[in-house]
Amino acid sequence: MTMVEYFSFLPYGKYAFYVWLAYGVSAITVITLFVSAKRNHKKAIMSLKNKYSRS
Amino acid sequence: MWKWIQRQSSPKIFYQTCTNLTPWFFWPFIGFLLVGLYWALIVSPADYQQGDGYRIIFVHVPSAILSMMVYAVMAIAGGIGLIWQIKMAEVVAKVSAPIGAAFTIIALVSGAVWGKPMWGAWWVWDARLTSELILLFLYLAYMSLNNAFDNPKTAAKASSILAIVGLVNLPVIHYSVKWWNTLHQGYSVGTGGLKDPDMQIALALMFVASIFLYALLVVIKAKTEVLIREQNSRWVKDEVSGAIL
Repeated sequence: MTMVEYFSFLPYGKYAFYVWLAYGVSAITVITLFVSAKRNHKKAIMSLKNKYSRS
Repeated sequence: MWKWIQRQSSPKIFYQTCTNLTPWFFWPFIGFLLVGLYWALIVSPADYQQGDGYRIIFVHVPSAILSMMVYAVMAIAGGIGLIWQIKMAEVVAKVSAPIGAAFTIIALVSGAVWGKPMWGAWWVWDARLTSELILLFLYLAYMSLNNAFDNPKTAAKASSILAIVGLVNLPVIHYSVKWWNTLHQGYSVGTGGLKDPDMQIALALMFVASIFLYALLVVIKAKTEVLIREQNSRWVKDEVSGAIL
């Protein structure tokens, strides 16, 4: 059984695997961008806080 | 308006503007995304040739347009930084690069995933695909060049020149489907493009959502960059010590 057949129970049948793969990869990329941007900002604030408290 | 733009060249005011703008980009992004997905996945009918497989277009086309738009913004902001020595333009250029690279990756991956059922191949060395891949390499080159210098000023200068030279690739990508006999289909927007009004609405909504996403990521990333660059100034010290995490 191929991946395409396996996922054909989802909406869009024989294209389900491809459509959801494309949407899934896009969603993961966008979420990663957003989360890493937020985390980098927090990290920068934390490291600056440390730097100022040392001086 | 012009005065407002001029005031943004002050890092402190620019930082404040980014903070103020964040909700104005976040909520429209969420709204347009949800309505756009609803229109793309439920309202739009299946295509008469490609069945439901065509629905990949609703992430593919907006991300492909954004990959080029972000590059143009990056090169123009870099140019403004070069000519007028405006540091905040350098910041916008620098933080745009990873976002543009991500849009390029989404466009390439979603295109490959669409190509497999429609063309029978994940990848072909078609003019459109190859020029878009070159765009990804330009983004990566820009990012590594920008990271190669310790001095942010030198980094911005060198990488901005690279970005401006790389601008020649944008018309190549855009016109590639006209200039060469490509396997990639022609324009999806305008004459010969999508005909169904629901498909056009879905594409427009997803495109607007993508623009808000780009703007949102720029304001978040720019704040981080400004804090690091201006870490020796008084207002950053106040801002950081007042920040609640």
